[in-house]
Amino acid sequence: MVETKEEKKRDFQELLDPELASLFRTALRMTRNREDAEDLVQETVTKAFAAFDRFERGTNFRAWVFRILTNTYINNYYRVRDRRNIPSLEEMEEESFFQPVAEGITPEEALLNSLTKDDIIEAIEALPVEFRAVVVLVLVEGFSYKEAAEILDIPMGTVMSRLWRGRKLLQKSLWEYSTQRNDSERKNQEGWTVKKP
Amino acid sequence: MDCKEALEKLYLYLDHEILSESERQQIEGHLQWCWRCQQVYQLENNLQNLIRLNGRNDEVPPSFFSKIKNVIAQF
Repeated sequence: MVETKEEKKRDFQELLDPELASLFRTALRMTRNREDAEDLVQETVTKAFAAFDRFERGTNFRAWVFRILTNTYINNYYRVRDRRNIPSLEEMEEESFFQPVAEGITPEEALLNSLTKDDIIEAIEALPVEFRAVVVLVLVEGFSYKEAAEILDIPMGTVMSRLWRGRKLLQKSLWEYSTQRNDSERKNQEGWTVKKP
Repeated sequence: MDCKEALEKLYLYLDHEILSESERQQIEGHLQWCWRCQQVYQLENNLQNLIRLNGRNDEVPPSFFSKIKNVIAQF
């Protein structure tokens, strides 16, 4: 039976509505800008509706629409300036964030306790786009490795290695934020002590 | 399972990507008696929860939903 345009719109809207907030959040992490994020989702929705006849009902709409979002981002929003120096695997192998200690609160536990929402968001948004995409899809949005591989059109092994490196970069950034904050607080306290009569 | 193997598979375990039940049980068995790997697991798990919680905590402007609804209405 041929679907009318109104039926198609209704079906599309029903599938899209539960994903809109996730699409917006992901767009925001990718573009790092609310206005661009809204535009990116709007463009995604337009493309998805245009291609909706080719979407096989009953399959994974969430992964399908996220794939359109990430492709649109890469084609239209991702600029060369987003490319940064990415440390090699060998360099990152040397960096170990979590080190077990014998007892008591570890510096890592203290760090986790001191992190704010802004720290986390800043660290995610500072990731190079290849890693950011995988981190957002898997760690934030809860896609499986297989789904992330399909969304980004890359092999699952690449998802795993980008996720591993993304995690290490995140840990490094968060560690640096915490250390800088602690240093700054210590200096402030020392300054206050000197000024006190 | 030794520590090296447990730590190599830790992220797969955290991400619920280990398909084999016996592998999952081996990791859980190792984490039960090895405090060092247990500590790493707890920290990684806590960090992952922080990332998920904060990464999903953005306020979506109400105007955004109506904007998208209007876009679809115009198709």
